[in-house]
Amino acid sequence: MTAARTISFTLNGLPVTADVKPHHNLVELLQNQFSLTGARETCGQGLCGCCTVIVNGKAVSGCLYLASFVEGAEVVTVESLDTPQKLHPVQEAFVETSAFQCGYCTPGFVLMTTQLLEQHPDPDDDQIKHYLTGNLCRCATYPQVIEAVKLAARKRKAG
Amino acid sequence: MTPFELAEPKSLSAAVKLLDPDDTSIRPIAGGTALMLMMKAGVFRPAKLISLRNIEAKYSGIAADANGLRLGAMTTLSALEHSADVRKLAPLITRTMLTLSNVRVRNVATVGGALAHGDPHMDLPPVLMALGATLTVVSPSGERSIPLDDFFTGYYETVLEKNELIAEAHIPAQGTKRAAYMKVTTGSADDWPALGVAVVIEADGKAIESARVVVSAATTKATRLKSAETVLNGKTADDKLLAQAGDAAVEEAEFIADVRGSVPYKRELLRVYIKRAVQQALAGGVQ
Ligand SMILES: Cc1cc2nc3c(=O)[nH]c(=O)nc-3n(C[C@H](O)[C@H](O)[C@H](O)COP(=O)(O)OP(=O)(O)OC[C@H]3O[C@@H](n4cnc5c(N)ncnc54)[C@H](O)[C@@H]3O)c2cc1C
Ligand code: FES
Ligand code: FES
Repeated sequence: MTAARTISFTLNGLPVTADVKPHHNLVELLQNQFSLTGARETCGQGLCGCCTVIVNGKAVSGCLYLASFVEGAEVVTVESLDTPQKLHPVQEAFVETSAFQCGYCTPGFVLMTTQLLEQHPDPDDDQIKHYLTGNLCRCATYPQVIEAVKLAARKRKAG
Repeated sequence: MTPFELAEPKSLSAAVKLLDPDDTSIRPIAGGTALMLMMKAGVFRPAKLISLRNIEAKYSGIAADANGLRLGAMTTLSALEHSADVRKLAPLITRTMLTLSNVRVRNVATVGGALAHGDPHMDLPPVLMALGATLTVVSPSGERSIPLDDFFTGYYETVLEKNELIAEAHIPAQGTKRAAYMKVTTGSADDWPALGVAVVIEADGKAIESARVVVSAATTKATRLKSAETVLNGKTADDKLLAQAGDAAVEEAEFIADVRGSVPYKRELLRVYIKRAVQQALAGGVQ
C-alpha cells in the first residue's frame, strides 16, 4: 500500500495521469514525471517560494504538498505562462527591470506576482512586501522585484 | 521522507475509525504543512497517514451567527484571513493572519492543524484562547466539547486521544470587547516568536470590567494567566496596575529557554508586553 497509485488531474490546462507514492511531494511529481523544473525544491520548508505551484487557483509550496493531494485538482506551473512567441506580462516586467541575477528564485516570484496582482491590481510597496514575504532571493534583488511588480501591474492594466 | 501509507476517508467518522488509540505511527494529516517538516527532518516516520482532505465539506467552512463563529477544523487559514464574517465577529483573528507565516502556507494550513499540533509558538492558540474558544472533538465513542483553556497539556501535547479529531472550533463574538495580540520575534521579523501575548478586554474607557490574558511561545504551552486577569479585573488601567499585572503574569507563567531567549530575558519581555498589549487593546486594539 506504500506502492504507487495512479491519480488524474489537470496540468497547465491538459488532463493528465501520474503514478504517485504517498510520500512523494508535488515538486518531485512535476520534475520526475513531467520534466517541469520551474518549481524547484530549495529550502524545503515553505520559506523561500522557489517551489511555488498554483493548485485550484491558490499558490502552494510544492515542497510541503503531498503529490497525492492534487488528485482531481487544477495544477498550474510557471511553464504555462509564456508561449514560444510571447512572454507573460509579469515575465516581461521582471526582464525589463532586471529583477533577478542568477534567476533561481524567479519562477516563484513570477507566479506569486500573478497571484498578488489578482488580489491587489494596483499594489503599494507594503502590499508587495507583505505578499512576497514568503519569497527569498539570495541575490537580494528585492528593490528590482518591487519595481517589476509595479511595472507588471501597469502592463496588466494596459491589457 | 520514508515511505508510508495514505488513507483518504470520505467522512470524519470514517477517519476516526482508521485511527488507533495505541499506535502513534498512525496520524491524521490536514494541510500537512507542519507534518511535512517533521517527516522531512526524520523526527516523525509514520506508518500510515489518515488524510482529512476528503471529509465532509462542512468541516472546511465558516458559519456565523450573532453569538459567534463556527470554524470547521479543515478551514484554511487563508479562508479565515479573507472571511467577512471573521472580520466582523472576531477582528483579532483577521489581524493575526497578517503576520502568520506566508500566503502559500496560509492557503494550505488548517485551523485543526494549527491547534492539534500543540506548538506553543503558533499564533492561533493564544488568540483563540483569549477569545474564549471551545472545540468540538470526535472519537469512536462520540463527541465532547473542550474549552481551549484546557486543551494544551505541554510542549506539543494536547488532551486529544490518538483516535480523536478536532471537528470544529466555536469562537464567541468579540462584540464590544477590545483585543490585541503581540508577538515578539528576536531574530528576523518572520522568525518564530520568543513571546506571544493575547488580551481580550471588556472595558469602559480605562476601567477594565474583565480581561482574558494569554501567554505563548515563551512557555511550554499557550496558557491563560488568571492571576494577571485578577489584578486587572474591576480596576482602572494605570501604569501601576499594569506593572502589577506584569509581575503577577511573570510569577504564574512557566517559561522555557530556547534559541530565542533565556528565561530571565523572557520574563522581562512578558512584563513589558503585558503592559503594551493591554494598552494597545484599550487604545482601540482591533476594531
Ligand atoms: C514556512 C512556515 C512558516 C510558518 N509560520 C507560522 C507563523 O508565523 N505562525 C503560526 O502560527 N504558524 C506558522 N506556521 C505553522 C503553521 O501554522 C502550521 O504548520 C499549520 O497551522 C498546521 O496546519 P496543517 O493543516 O498544515 O497541519 P498538519 O501538518 O496536517 O497537522 C499538524 C498536526 O495536527 C494534527 N491534526 C491536523 N488536523 C487535525 C484534526 N482535525 N484533529 C486532530 N489532529 C489534527 C496532525 O496529526 C499533526 O499532528 C508556519 C509553517 C511553515 C511551514
Ligand atoms: S523549497 Fe518550498 S518554499 Fe522553499
Ligand atoms: S536572482 Fe538569484 S536568488 Fe534571486
